[in-house]
Amino acid sequence: MKSSHFFRILHMTILSFMFVSFKIYALENTDERVKNLTLELRCMTCQNQSIYDSDAEFSNDIKKIVKQKLLEGKSERDIKIFLVDRYGEYILFRPLMNYNNIFLWSFPFILLIFGLFFVLIKIKTKKV
Amino acid sequence: MNKIVILTPLIILLVICIFSLTYLLSGKDPNKPPSALLNKDVPIFESSSLYNSKEIIRTIDIKNKKTLINFFASWCSPCKIEHPLFFEISEKYPELYLLGFNHKDPTSQAKKYLEDDGNPYDFVGVDADGLIALEFGVFGLPETYLINENGKIVFKFMGPITTDVLKNEIEPLL
Repeated sequence: MKSSHFFRILHMTILSFMFVSFKIYALENTDERVKNLTLELRCMTCQNQSIYDSDAEFSNDIKKIVKQKLLEGKSERDIKIFLVDRYGEYILFRPLMNYNNIFLWSFPFILLIFGLFFVLIKIKTKKV
Repeated sequence: MNKIVILTPLIILLVICIFSLTYLLSGKDPNKPPSALLNKDVPIFESSSLYNSKEIIRTIDIKNKKTLINFFASWCSPCKIEHPLFFEISEKYPELYLLGFNHKDPTSQAKKYLEDDGNPYDFVGVDADGLIALEFGVFGLPETYLINENGKIVFKFMGPITTDVLKNEIEPLL
């Protein structure tokens, strides 16, 4: 009887310990995710500062919203879209990969093709 | 002939770069990025009156009427500069619905501000936690939005509106 009581307490202690550990891990993980995400967001009221680095009221509001949305289970992309819908893409340091930004993302490759073409012609003319 | 062939891609590239830079930088002020909500539906909101917490205003209440929404606060100095203009607007355009959102302000201070400087608004909604401002993409006070009869945001202005802004940008839309 005593032994069963002991195991019950042990069982409860282990479960409580696991619960607290998971909770701490989840909160730390959320804080880390908030940090990573807000480092990619521009503080609209500051000069070249990320939301994470800024203490402006606007930045603090965004940090709170980001944390709230992450705790609600929203993905980072969902949160970015939520913010872009309200503040525009200017809030992102790295523009979204979409139809509007196709030129922006493809330009380095266009540049590379031009460069290769230029080098090939140069080599060809030298050989001749 | 060979030189022309070699230089052609470079010239094309240079033209593309100049064209892109001119397009990207023309008339754009990085301090005043365009509103993402321009020509979009007014965000869904619900706010209680500053004077009577039981009186609520919702998005549906401004349907089918031209509305000028102004985010202000008693602690915002530029708001004081533009404040008298709202009396002018209210007098000149009585059919225009003036909706003020008091942003992150203690109620007593907001009331005192409107008592001292006057209240030009048809309705003063409370935005204590700043969530309505967030829905509108506000990031600095004051900010003013003009909503047309179809519920679309047709104009947004960051900072205090001036007589010139009123005359050249708002009035043509009224």
